[in-house]
Amino acid sequence: MPAVLLAVLISLPFWTPSRYWVSVAIQALILAVFAMSLDLLLGFGGMPSFGHAAFYGMGAYACGKLFPQLTGAGLLAFLVAGMAAGVIAALPIGALAVRARGIYFLMLTLAFAQMVWGLAFQWTSFTGGTEGMSGIPQAVPDWLQEQGQNLWPALRTAGPFYVVALTVAVLAFAGLTAITRSPFGRALEGIRENEGRMRALGYPTYRYRLAAFVIAAAFAGLAGATTALYNGYANPSQLYWHTSGLVLIAVIVGGTRSLLGAVLGAFFVTIVQLVISSYTEHWQLLLGAVFIAVVLFLPGGFISLGRLGWLKR
Amino acid sequence: MRLEAQEISVRFGALAALASVSLDVQSGERRALIGPNGAGKTTLFNVIAGELRPAAGSVLLDGRDVTSLPTWRRARLSLGRTFQRSALFPRLSVGENLELAVRRGALVGRRRAVPERLEAAGLSAVAERPASSLGHGEQRALEIELALACEPRLLLLDEPMAGLSGAERQAALERLRNLPRSVTLVIVEHDIDAVFAIAERITVLDHGVKIADGTPAEVRADPRVQEVYLGRP
Repeated sequence: MPAVLLAVLISLPFWTPSRYWVSVAIQALILAVFAMSLDLLLGFGGMPSFGHAAFYGMGAYACGKLFPQLTGAGLLAFLVAGMAAGVIAALPIGALAVRARGIYFLMLTLAFAQMVWGLAFQWTSFTGGTEGMSGIPQAVPDWLQEQGQNLWPALRTAGPFYVVALTVAVLAFAGLTAITRSPFGRALEGIRENEGRMRALGYPTYRYRLAAFVIAAAFAGLAGATTALYNGYANPSQLYWHTSGLVLIAVIVGGTRSLLGAVLGAFFVTIVQLVISSYTEHWQLLLGAVFIAVVLFLPGGFISLGRLGWLKR
Repeated sequence: MRLEAQEISVRFGALAALASVSLDVQSGERRALIGPNGAGKTTLFNVIAGELRPAAGSVLLDGRDVTSLPTWRRARLSLGRTFQRSALFPRLSVGENLELAVRRGALVGRRRAVPERLEAAGLSAVAERPASSLGHGEQRALEIELALACEPRLLLLDEPMAGLSGAERQAALERLRNLPRSVTLVIVEHDIDAVFAIAERITVLDHGVKIADGTPAEVRADPRVQEVYLGRP
């Protein structure tokens, strides 16, 4: 399944009818990274964060704030800065939030994220206020800019940033897969299933939960940095609770406890948001209806349809 | 491992769940803790394991005061426990359950111990199944094995026989009787036959107060114990 998806994405610039679809794919890939990072918390760690946009936005703002200094340093410097910003914000927020469970955790993460948003919104001299920060370069490496089209002619129409977005998404998928399959990931699932038993077995569960929170924030920061580079701006909407809600919907609709589910959910949400919205203003109605239907009738998300298919064979 | 609980008091609102209860269990001893429902047995376990901070009193493991240590640190000092209601990882497989236990809070190594643990618990055949799909008897066997897989030197068993059939009961009893003397056992159990089969000393709690402490023969003969718990012959 991941191989099929990857093949589709790699070949996309060849068969896509227009550059528009490449831009949809880029935005879906960025949301996919963001959604996978949330799935580490929600699906594997059992921590329903409603404030994950704080770290996504921090990643974007780090690029906006630092681009005069980072432009010479290249793409990697921007991505690392985004991850670092996510980590720096997640340490104090996580230290307090992961003490709570369930609905309390959800409300705390929402409150902290709205505080970050409020700061970005009102501290105009530092953050640019409502306008945010613009003029962020795409920072596509020169060799890709110049040689990429020779290697992959389709990039002439698609634009080299597609390679950046796809690479970031593939690396994030690989990294998060490794984390979830590691002993750390298994312990995180143990904490989700039965935290008291994990303590009795000798696991310092608070530290594990905090570590998961910080790792998830680092990948959210990576997604935020990628979106800032692609769109060229950082603004408060990237930090707003709407953004936290959208990524939460993507993960739940696609299927929690599965990184691939998060990716599917991200593509679905992006297509509804960008494509359906050009036909009707009521795209949120459709998204809401699908969300309700999935929660009620397909609690495992889209990904569980695939599992059912396997069982029937 | 020697366990000393000294003058432990716990209050839940107006209720004195434990009133200055002391327990001294020698290294390698088999001790039973009995008493009617609500006597404070599980509460005492929670205090010893570190899940509950007592209002007064202290807990010592091998003479070391651990009263302020969190649960996971006490576990790493080789304190293991089982739970009255099975505390498994329902959506993980039986093998994955045991894998978490043999790692004992560490992130490296020890995975090789899983097959022998499955064997010892008689769960090899269901290793791949999610723990939630097991029958009650198998869940209880896994419950005990999760604690044993940590190789504890002090093991608190909270009603390990609850709800088991006759044959399962015998198997569980055998498993416990065959534990080496390097393990100190404290067992809460309502099955009086099992208690007398395992315990060398018995402590009796009633309404948060210790009313007797002695050999099985002494406790059996104690008139107060007969009155509150065993019933008159």
